[in-house]
Amino acid sequence: MKSPELYLLSRTNRPDSHTLDVFRRHEGYQALERVLKGGFSPQEVIGMVKDSGLRGRGGAGFPTGLKWSFMPDPEKDPRPRYLAVNADESEPGTCKDRVLLEKDPHGLIEGILIACYAMQVKTAYVYVRGEYRLPHDRVAKALAEARAAGWVGENILDSDFSCEICGEETGLMESLEGKRGHPRPKPPFPAGFGLWGQPTTVNNVETLHNVPFIILRGAEWYRSMGTEKSPGNILVGISGHVERPGVYEVPLGTSAQKILEDHAGGVWKGRKLKAWIPGGSSTGFLPGSQIGLSMDHDSLKEAGSMLGTAAMIMLDETACVVRAMQVMARFYDHESCGQCSQCREGTEWLSQIFRRIECGDGRVEDIDLLTSLANGMAPGKTICALADAAAIPTHSVVRHFRAELEAHVEQGRCPYLSNDQPSQATVGAHA
Amino acid sequence: MTKIIIDGQEVEADPHKPLIHACHGHGSDVPMYCYHPGLTPVGSCRICQVEVQQGEMPPRVVVACRTPVSEGMVVNTDAAGAHEARRQCLEFLLKNHPLDCPICDKAGECDLQDFSFAEGQGEGRSVEPRRKLEKRKSLGDVIVLDQERCILCSRCVRFFEDVTHKAQLTVAGMGARSVISTFADRPLTGNYQGNLADICPVGALTLKKFRFQARVWNLHKSFSTCGECSRGCSISVEVLRRREVKRLRPRYNPEVNRWWMCDTGRFSFDRFNRAGRLGAGLLAGRRGMEAVDRERALDEVGDILRVHAHNEVIASPWLTQEEGQELARLAQRLGVEPCFVSPPANDLEDDLLHTGDPSPNRRGLEELGFVGRTARELIETLAQRESALLVGERIGELLGAEGLASLPRSVRLMAIDTHPIEAPALRVLLGTPDASEREGTWVNVDGHVGRIASAKPAPEGVRVLCRDLVDLIERLEGQGQETLS
Ligand SMILES: Cc1cc2nc3c(=O)[nH]c(=O)nc-3n(C[C@H](O)[C@H](O)[C@H](O)COP(=O)(O)O)c2cc1C
Ligand code: SF4
Ligand code: SF4
Ligand code: FES
Repeated sequence: MKSPELYLLSRTNRPDSHTLDVFRRHEGYQALERVLKGGFSPQEVIGMVKDSGLRGRGGAGFPTGLKWSFMPDPEKDPRPRYLAVNADESEPGTCKDRVLLEKDPHGLIEGILIACYAMQVKTAYVYVRGEYRLPHDRVAKALAEARAAGWVGENILDSDFSCEICGEETGLMESLEGKRGHPRPKPPFPAGFGLWGQPTTVNNVETLHNVPFIILRGAEWYRSMGTEKSPGNILVGISGHVERPGVYEVPLGTSAQKILEDHAGGVWKGRKLKAWIPGGSSTGFLPGSQIGLSMDHDSLKEAGSMLGTAAMIMLDETACVVRAMQVMARFYDHESCGQCSQCREGTEWLSQIFRRIECGDGRVEDIDLLTSLANGMAPGKTICALADAAAIPTHSVVRHFRAELEAHVEQGRCPYLSNDQPSQATVGAHA
Repeated sequence: MTKIIIDGQEVEADPHKPLIHACHGHGSDVPMYCYHPGLTPVGSCRICQVEVQQGEMPPRVVVACRTPVSEGMVVNTDAAGAHEARRQCLEFLLKNHPLDCPICDKAGECDLQDFSFAEGQGEGRSVEPRRKLEKRKSLGDVIVLDQERCILCSRCVRFFEDVTHKAQLTVAGMGARSVISTFADRPLTGNYQGNLADICPVGALTLKKFRFQARVWNLHKSFSTCGECSRGCSISVEVLRRREVKRLRPRYNPEVNRWWMCDTGRFSFDRFNRAGRLGAGLLAGRRGMEAVDRERALDEVGDILRVHAHNEVIASPWLTQEEGQELARLAQRLGVEPCFVSPPANDLEDDLLHTGDPSPNRRGLEELGFVGRTARELIETLAQRESALLVGERIGELLGAEGLASLPRSVRLMAIDTHPIEAPALRVLLGTPDASEREGTWVNVDGHVGRIASAKPAPEGVRVLCRDLVDLIERLEGQGQETLS
């Protein structure tokens, strides 16, 4: 079998891949040229993206072309409009966008420009998380280079198209407006009432990276990779108890086992797989026995999980799922913005209970209480999906690893801790 | 208007208001914490869950305060799924609640108590320690914050942003570490702080002045109008044991004050509790003012007015329309132009409510033909007169003790007021009910009529002012022929 074609990471291994020079030598800005000089109308670009079947890589997997088409017609709605680019990777286990930001920032800029052309947007904002120093600097530098070379700014390539690029999608907007990062309730949806009340679309970095390739090589080509409902390639970040953790590009629908074995070198130290997370902490734990699942939206949904950001985390047989969950619960407690009652109190409560169980202070009734609380928090009971993101892994632990919870309660301690290890769950949270 | 169905009945809903507004208008109980009709909805507390069905889609449970109404929407506020979501939400809200209801000033009018009673579950399932936060944080002269009771609905934050347009509060910290705080711990300022205690759905923001003053269910409430300025905000006067006014609170009036009132008005009730009230009547005698019955005092007033030609009749700007009408008749009978003391504008005027004009019924009295004059002008005029009748609550105070005391004995002063006046020229003094003890109407600056209501009994021997005035008119008419001839 021939190895699948790579495009997302086609440039990233080249020296100085982040510079305009290297980028230009490897198809850089050719898609934009084709759009601007080839007489593509904005609708045609949206049409191509729709035909390609590209789905958002930020976690929800929403069809990108469809999302773009929600932007109101500028003839009828002349308000200024924005594209907000989500480079705020915060889902525990996720670090795929980082590779693109650091090693292929011009690829992102080209994707942004085409998206802006398609949606007739003149201003895009990239929201990079504060901890991402190098990615931030690389993007800033690439922007300066692109602007100097005339790729960003007024009348790009002597066309009528002008675009300026200046980082959960609604919390993002509050931040961009200089307010507290509190997610906004929908409706109104950002396509009608986003940044400063104007039509706005939010897209993930990797989503936008796909766009120039779709333009250059066509929707047909794109659909030849991946599955029917989840076409294209995806960046998979695999971490945890594996030999070679890293970010790999695979076609959607590749089996998790193949990724684990072929790319990541299998479970480390020759151990067995106990549990795994397919797409970042909020997609929850699956038992090791389900590693044969394929990595695409529908297969994982059927298995009661989600593709999420395709950030796979592997736990070997010596790991404690309760302890891993406790660290994740603490993360959600820490990250909740606090405006929704269920999320503010629920994420803390879950964290407290998992901590007690891990520390040996659990009660039998805590296990059902976990399920009941998670049911009170989600689905769809809060403004954004963070409460869901805490509830889903909670359900998964009770569903698939109940025996492990019970063992903690019965023994009054974590069965996976040897006596010389600290008795408290003190593993550091995801940074 | 948009046609929707709420709990089986077709309802015309305002398309510019969220669904919860239509539900409440229809009389369906939907709990709310973060939603307040006078503030921008945020949909964050998640308590107002209702079931909504639109077209062929299966029914969904949504928050009513952030759901726009749309034609044909079918709403069930009593759906099992909605009740379940509310119950779950309450369990989270109560998890860290300090449960100090027995000593909480809000008990009895607390939405957390009320909705927990209606929707909550009997017992808590948390064994985690409750959050310890500041329980007595002063936010300035008016408000004290109990962070443990706060449910972070953010109404108080939005009150300053949306109503006074000057942000003063914020949510500090994230997630379960969120607390309400002023910016840089500065005290709150402005004339509208007291409203926070009304809009806070729980006992987190309370009035320093109402702390531990009363259990609210012992307060007797009467619907009235504030007299501190010519806006005349609609208020509720709340009285403990038929004696003491404990607080004034705004009452919703879309035309005048919506849900708000200023602190000057809110804390003006001390005047209704001041001791030393006048009773039936006092007459100047050999040993100073001597108590007499009302008839005797009115006889004296009638006699003085009858035998002197150069009279003056001065009203308090707190006179109601009804009282003003009688007084105008009396003035006409005496052949004098009625006037009222017009205190100068104060510096409290703002663009929200306070007009800066401390005369609650200026417009009404002017419509009745009264002329407003300053205290100084009036004292100067009075000095020329043979007799003067000063009528109404606060008249002595507004004319000024000094000015009145300076008047020569040749002016035969007669006053009907709530509290004593001391002046050598004083001949007769009668007590009268204050604005918390009588009925009537005031006309505000924009012509809106505000009703004042009797919230507590007037002191012994005091009766309705209109009756005193009618009796006086009768005395003048009965024997009037003699003087005229
Ligand atoms: C709690 C939460 C965390 C999220 N974190 C990210 C993130 O780190 N990066 C990202 O691109 N999208 C994230 N999302 C999804 C975004 O809200 C948004 O849907 C996405 O950026 C849209 O882009 P896409 O359609 O291109 O996927 C998150 C959503 C939620 C609810
Ligand atoms: S679900 Fe949690 S993080 Fe999201 S808006 Fe509500 S409180 Fe904030
Ligand atoms: S203090 Fe009161 S009004 Fe303010 S957020 Fe807390 S509960 Fe709401
Ligand atoms: S009242 Fe609707 S969410 Fe708070």
